[in-house]
Amino acid sequence: MALYDMSPEVTMEFLPLTEPVLLILLSLAEEPRHGYSILKDVERMSDGRVVLSTGTLYGALRRLLGEEWIERIEEEDSPRGRQSYRLTARGRKNLQLEVSRMKHLTRLASFRIAGKEA
Amino acid sequence: MLSVSVYRQLLRLYPAPHRRQFGEEMIAVFGDIRSDAASRGAVARIVFHIRESAGLIAGAMQEHWRRLGGDPDVLWFSPRRATMHTEFRFPRTTAVLMTIILAGVVLAIKKGETISSSNVNPPIGPLPPTHSVLLGGIFLTLAFFYAAGLIGWAILFAMRRSGVHRLAETSAETK
Repeated sequence: MALYDMSPEVTMEFLPLTEPVLLILLSLAEEPRHGYSILKDVERMSDGRVVLSTGTLYGALRRLLGEEWIERIEEEDSPRGRQSYRLTARGRKNLQLEVSRMKHLTRLASFRIAGKEA
Repeated sequence: MLSVSVYRQLLRLYPAPHRRQFGEEMIAVFGDIRSDAASRGAVARIVFHIRESAGLIAGAMQEHWRRLGGDPDVLWFSPRRATMHTEFRFPRTTAVLMTIILAGVVLAIKKGETISSSNVNPPIGPLPPTHSVLLGGIFLTLAFFYAAGLIGWAILFAMRRSGVHRLAETSAETK
């Protein structure tokens, strides 16, 4: 995937992502999850460094739903408090773009630091 | 401290569409993580309540800001939010934000009390007095942590101004 993919599904204006949003997307990249599961997974992924409040989580989810990066899964048997979310194709593509951007940045940083030390 | 019923009242700070879409979910998730926090130590529980109160109020402010047509990047997806901070970094804007959050909590408590007192068909009898004690306790706790935060900020600010945090670097260079 090119670093600057200009396809309609990619929305460069939102990159770079904040760390909480990146972790939420990474959590949903693995499998669909409900709110509590996302919170625990984000905490686990960051070794307890990032602990989201419910206000922060649902602010991010509302925004990601609006941008169609994630979608709600309608489950008839699940209670209202247990709605699940999953990554859309658009969200996955943007997540891949962000990871590519970060890889590019770390490669550049490694190269520059190595050059300085040599 | 922050019970599910108080949390439900604080959710009224959010715009109605947000409450309709996420209100029940947020309450359910809050109930789950509150149960988790209850099994931890006192410090963890206090941190949990502060985080939830601040997150809820900041989230409500963000939603109102967005509905007023404010630039969402100011609050979300902003590169500034991903900036790494040194351990001594405690910007003055944080103190301002703390003040706003405290004001929001006070307003929320007042609003909750107003809603409770204006109930047309109240349950049998008046509200038990413990309700007011609970809200007062929340206010006092938040005020305490606000004051502690300000003192901490003043100490860190003074240390940073004195350059004491660079002493280690200086000694390393002289070796």
